[in-house]
Amino acid sequence: MTNEGVTVTEPKKWNKPRPNIDADSAEFWEGLKRHELLLWTCEECGAAYWPKCYCRNHENKPFAANLSWKPSSGYGRIFAMNRHEYAFHAGFKEDVPYFYALVELDEGPVISSTIIGEQPTDPIKDIGRRVKIAFEDHPEEGFTLPRFELVAE
Amino acid sequence: MSTRNRIAVVGLAEVHPPQGMSQRMMASEATRLAVEDAGLKISDIDGAIDLRRTGGGGDRASYSDTFTRFLGMQAQFYFTIGRGGALAGLATAAATGFLDRGLANYVVCVGAVDDWSKAEQTKKQGHRGMQHAEKEGYWGKPLGDLRAASHHSWMAARHMAQYGTTSEQLGAISVAQRTWACLNPDAKMYGRPITIEDHQNSPWVVEPYHRLDCSLISDGAIAFILTTEERAKDLKQQPIWVSGQGFGEIAASYWWEKKNLTHMAVAPAKEKAFAQAGITLNDIDVAQLYDCFTGEVLLQLEDYGWAEKGQGGKYVESGATAPGGHGIPVNTGGGLLSNWHLGDLVGYAEAVQQLRGTAGDRQVKDAKVALTTGHGGELVSPSMCSIHTSTILTVD
Repeated sequence: MTNEGVTVTEPKKWNKPRPNIDADSAEFWEGLKRHELLLWTCEECGAAYWPKCYCRNHENKPFAANLSWKPSSGYGRIFAMNRHEYAFHAGFKEDVPYFYALVELDEGPVISSTIIGEQPTDPIKDIGRRVKIAFEDHPEEGFTLPRFELVAE
Repeated sequence: MSTRNRIAVVGLAEVHPPQGMSQRMMASEATRLAVEDAGLKISDIDGAIDLRRTGGGGDRASYSDTFTRFLGMQAQFYFTIGRGGALAGLATAAATGFLDRGLANYVVCVGAVDDWSKAEQTKKQGHRGMQHAEKEGYWGKPLGDLRAASHHSWMAARHMAQYGTTSEQLGAISVAQRTWACLNPDAKMYGRPITIEDHQNSPWVVEPYHRLDCSLISDGAIAFILTTEERAKDLKQQPIWVSGQGFGEIAASYWWEKKNLTHMAVAPAKEKAFAQAGITLNDIDVAQLYDCFTGEVLLQLEDYGWAEKGQGGKYVESGATAPGGHGIPVNTGGGLLSNWHLGDLVGYAEAVQQLRGTAGDRQVKDAKVALTTGHGGELVSPSMCSIHTSTILTVD
């Protein structure tokens, strides 16, 4: 299943830090390229995790082989948020101010990214707002970044 | 505890040379002075622990030379330890093992940072804040989670959303610590008092954090010497006893419960440290609480029990932690916000000074029991999978 969501293709040359993709997260990043937000899901009890780990609910197979990456609904709520006014990295000079949110997905795991499209009004008062995933493709760079956008209740 | 060796802090030194000096040079000099402070010789020191901020952002594991070689020290062991700002507490626990088993007589623990110098260098590349070192597996960098303030500010944001804490209340922490720093001639911000209005008018770095909610970026080194009871009794300084230690991990439960933005892993650390020292909260005369940002102080005041969970804002707003306040004196040298930032070494050193009675104008009267804490770890959404270290230092 492919999640719905806006696709933003960023034409500029990438001048920010690149994603840190390792053996534990490579499949997750491949999922983003297919416009799927994957969660590390237990095949025995259905518990969803992000990032990758052993299932906490029972004994695991070696190397956590009883779990696999499964698409999430892509919906959640803002759990915490802030507004960056300060470009710590030169690549973000044109982006500030930006809202950076910690999103609690409906499946449970929490993941962070910026809010695109309609902007929140306040980093505290808008905690709890409903959001859904959006995918920002960077085909020239070989990765897709997850973003979030506000949606109606 | 009675069957074990008691461990004491018997030497202490702190240096803040001009920018551009190497970390190993600063570590060496702080060590030389701490040995002198103890009334010992370099040749007496047979163990060395180098406090490095591994964990968190950046590769700061070690450098390409040991300060022991640099200083001509004949230590029988040298290793690095630390997790983010959790340094002195972990080093004390490690050194205790060596001393208790008779593997060393005198252990030096030293931490040096050159963040200020490095930040000046990266500023030339167009960046701001601490130096940029990318950590393997770190999630948020390409997205905009760039620095400690990017995710630590979520703690304040969540506390505000959940309990109604205000920016002015966080400002009260900043002002209280600056007031302490203005009593400390060795503090970076000595002679520069601030008001709540100054806090509110300081620019947003990452809202809800103003500039004055954020700790300093420093150069410098702090060293301390640990030894056993029978050796401590014959030395130049009054021994300051390590009477209790405890540790807690966010990954044990709070991370899974999504409580790690409003709590630090204080509960298990406090329980063990207080039990070992045989104290309760009311016995603590002075508290050095890890304060990379104002929010961490607020959380710890609640987690240790000086305020109820969610009520820390009202507590600090009343001036409880400031000089002359009715509550617990907190970060009496100015802390990481207004003194210097060398991780938990700053609070540890200040606790020793207070217990020695050498804290000058900021001396807390009859301080006999000090709490000093450390914090540091990794960023795993929902944020901050960190350790909390709790160390009780005492005069008796």
